[in-house]
Amino acid sequence: MTRNDDSNATRERKPRQYRTNRRGFLSRAGAAAGLVAVTGCLAEDDGTDAVPAFPRVEDPPEAVYVPTHREAMRVLEPLEAGEYTLASMLSYPHPFWLVDGTETVPVEPDSDLGVHMMFTVWDEATGTVIPLDSGAEIRLERDGEPVGTPRLPWTMISQEMGVHFGDNVPLESFGTYTVEVSLPPLGVERTGALAGRFTDGGRATFEFDYDEAFVEEVVGGVEYLDEAVWGRSGALEPMDHAGHGDSQHHGDDHHHDDGHNHHGDTGGHAHAHVPFSALPASGDYPGTHLLTADGAYPQSGDATFVLTVLEAGSRFADERYLLVSPRTPYNRVPLADMALDVRLERDGTTVQRGPLEQTLDDEFGLHYGRALEDVEPGDELTLTVETPPQVARHQGYETAFLRMEPIELRVPELG
Amino acid sequence: MSLLERTDLSRRAYLRTAVAVGGAGALSACLERSGDDEIPRGTDDQRTLPGRQHAWNGVLERDDHGNVRPPEHHVLLALSLRGEPTTEDRETVESSLRTLERAFEWGASGLVFTVGYSHAYFERLGEPPAGVDLPAPTALTEREDPEVDEFDALVHLASDHASAVLAAEEALFGEVETLNGISVEVDLSSVFEREGALRRTGFVGPGLPAAETDLPAVPDAVPEDAPFFMGFRSGFRESQASEDRVTITEGPFAGGTTQHVSSMTLQLDVWFEQDSHAQRVAKLFSPEHADEGLVGEVGERLGDSSGLTSERIEATANDARRRGVVGHAQKAARAREDGQPLLLRRDFNTVDGDVPGLHFLSLQRTVEEFGRVREAMNGTDLAGSGVGTVLNNGILQYLFVDRRGNYLVPPRKHRALPPSAPTTE
Repeated sequence: MTRNDDSNATRERKPRQYRTNRRGFLSRAGAAAGLVAVTGCLAEDDGTDAVPAFPRVEDPPEAVYVPTHREAMRVLEPLEAGEYTLASMLSYPHPFWLVDGTETVPVEPDSDLGVHMMFTVWDEATGTVIPLDSGAEIRLERDGEPVGTPRLPWTMISQEMGVHFGDNVPLESFGTYTVEVSLPPLGVERTGALAGRFTDGGRATFEFDYDEAFVEEVVGGVEYLDEAVWGRSGALEPMDHAGHGDSQHHGDDHHHDDGHNHHGDTGGHAHAHVPFSALPASGDYPGTHLLTADGAYPQSGDATFVLTVLEAGSRFADERYLLVSPRTPYNRVPLADMALDVRLERDGTTVQRGPLEQTLDDEFGLHYGRALEDVEPGDELTLTVETPPQVARHQGYETAFLRMEPIELRVPELG
Repeated sequence: MSLLERTDLSRRAYLRTAVAVGGAGALSACLERSGDDEIPRGTDDQRTLPGRQHAWNGVLERDDHGNVRPPEHHVLLALSLRGEPTTEDRETVESSLRTLERAFEWGASGLVFTVGYSHAYFERLGEPPAGVDLPAPTALTEREDPEVDEFDALVHLASDHASAVLAAEEALFGEVETLNGISVEVDLSSVFEREGALRRTGFVGPGLPAAETDLPAVPDAVPEDAPFFMGFRSGFRESQASEDRVTITEGPFAGGTTQHVSSMTLQLDVWFEQDSHAQRVAKLFSPEHADEGLVGEVGERLGDSSGLTSERIEATANDARRRGVVGHAQKAARAREDGQPLLLRRDFNTVDGDVPGLHFLSLQRTVEEFGRVREAMNGTDLAGSGVGTVLNNGILQYLFVDRRGNYLVPPRKHRALPPSAPTTE
């Protein structure tokens, strides 16, 4: 990236207090299907908006829904931080939602000035994106002086970005900023090629220019969707798959799971180096899959759950192993930091009950698992979501994965 | 808040700034503004002073609920020895400290202070302190990389009068000839060098944190009446160890205590601008505190207790799983022994370096006990079971530890450059 050679001269200069221009989307939200870009509207004589408009969907469904717009961001070159690789993505400050138990708490940016700073963190060797809170920390400096106090960004999910760490970071003025990212050792149970890895933390430093060109790029790059599709069941395609004119799934193919794997399918696109945190397709999991009476993968709170019983002596346990992989519909983003409890009943008697352990595996990604000492075909299995995923949400995910009913399934013939 | 209260608050904020700046200029500015000309004198009679340096509770005021009210102004002086301590040096140190006691009454309306000695000090002597485990400070969480205090001694000065802490500091280094009307004959400057860059200051009191909102990292949302930056009362009687509980009972340092000082930066933007009040209560106390509205705006509904029943403490792991959040206080209280807290906290707010922070100063019988409480607070065992490593796991997301130090605070009789195994005369 280029440095702002004029940074000293502009040191004390504060950018103008830009006003949000809401004409952009209102005038364009017509009836025609597809994407509507408003780039042209932003080049007003009075300059660029510091943030774009954030139209909301009125009364969105309690499910994943198509948001009002696709975010634009600047993707910086990936960096190594110990065993981790990370890429930062910068956008304009925007609303998001924290999760408090089964409720959400909306966060509005407290200033138009600043960035929404995001990181995708992954293991280059296996392509596994780190999908859960690991205590990543950021510190900003400008001209060698700290800017604000350190931050531990939220673990977030977005339809375009999948799992990432992010926060709105207010900045007082244009200039070149240095960011130090510290990643501690990974606290989660790790299996497969990840076992024994990430026992040390890592650190990386990068710079970015916060200037008018950046603001124009990210604000001007926002793509508003046709109002007719706002709030429909569906999701934007992940960033790397952003096509032109067809970048959302529609409700009619809800919960499709076509075996298409996003892993390693990033070559040739604009942000080629940044993997998207998609889990393997359901069909790629071994073992005996537990399905509903209609033969579908169970759902709860609009999340899809792949439940499979692995044979005894798998990589995970001497006994049979219950692997539970909750994911977003459409984009297969893993849902982290949940608390899941399983109960097995046979003839009305509980034979086993207990919590599942959150585990990160290079092959199956984030899942929740538990050894099953005694399981037989015909057993009633109840999976209880004690706590829904405590990850912050971008628009389109904030109403889903909150009120999650238990899943009840019958164990089929075991392979 | 009335105009009179506002005027008083602006005066107190001014005095707070004077303490942070330090030095002769700050002292004289402070004396002009404070109206502190009537600070009660102390005593020459050592027998009237407690044998424990940390015996402050008996002379500090209490609120209506019996909670000890900490002094408003605090200074931590980092001291490095100029050479190996001699008998003469010991006499110099003792006389210098006695000057403070003669000049100011022992209490918040006068002055209270402690002198502690570090691992580095005893290494210099060649022997660790007898009967006391005083480890060198280290990182206590996986994500921190603190600087560690490696100087020899730490003096903690505290008073409700800004001028008293400032003047005491000046007197200790011979910068004033008289202290509260008492002639200053001896000072520490021949024995110790001040580590000026490591001078730390702070304050506690309702309204004082909210008076700092002109600093960029202190959001306007800090509640007007909060005594601490995190926005709530703290130091409840029931959550504090007694002075007896933190006092060393055996060996030559019996009557002393150990002191841990961690200096941390606070992330208040996220805490106040993003989290809701209910989330703050849940993360600081417990989710039940939030769900049942036990706390009030700044903790005014809590009396002498943070409301941590044994049920709420035992519910910590369950709250993580069922509620997706655990409270800092609830988590740390898991380290209690027979229901009794291990730490006596005397922490205070700071804006050293113009960022909001906390000098977390705690007394405990052994440094290991501090480590146990900190481990309970880390909540590593809870991560992945409904809460993250950091997120929703108490207040870890908002604390950034910059420094750690461990000290032995000897009993008063051994407070002046103690040998590793002092003999009792």
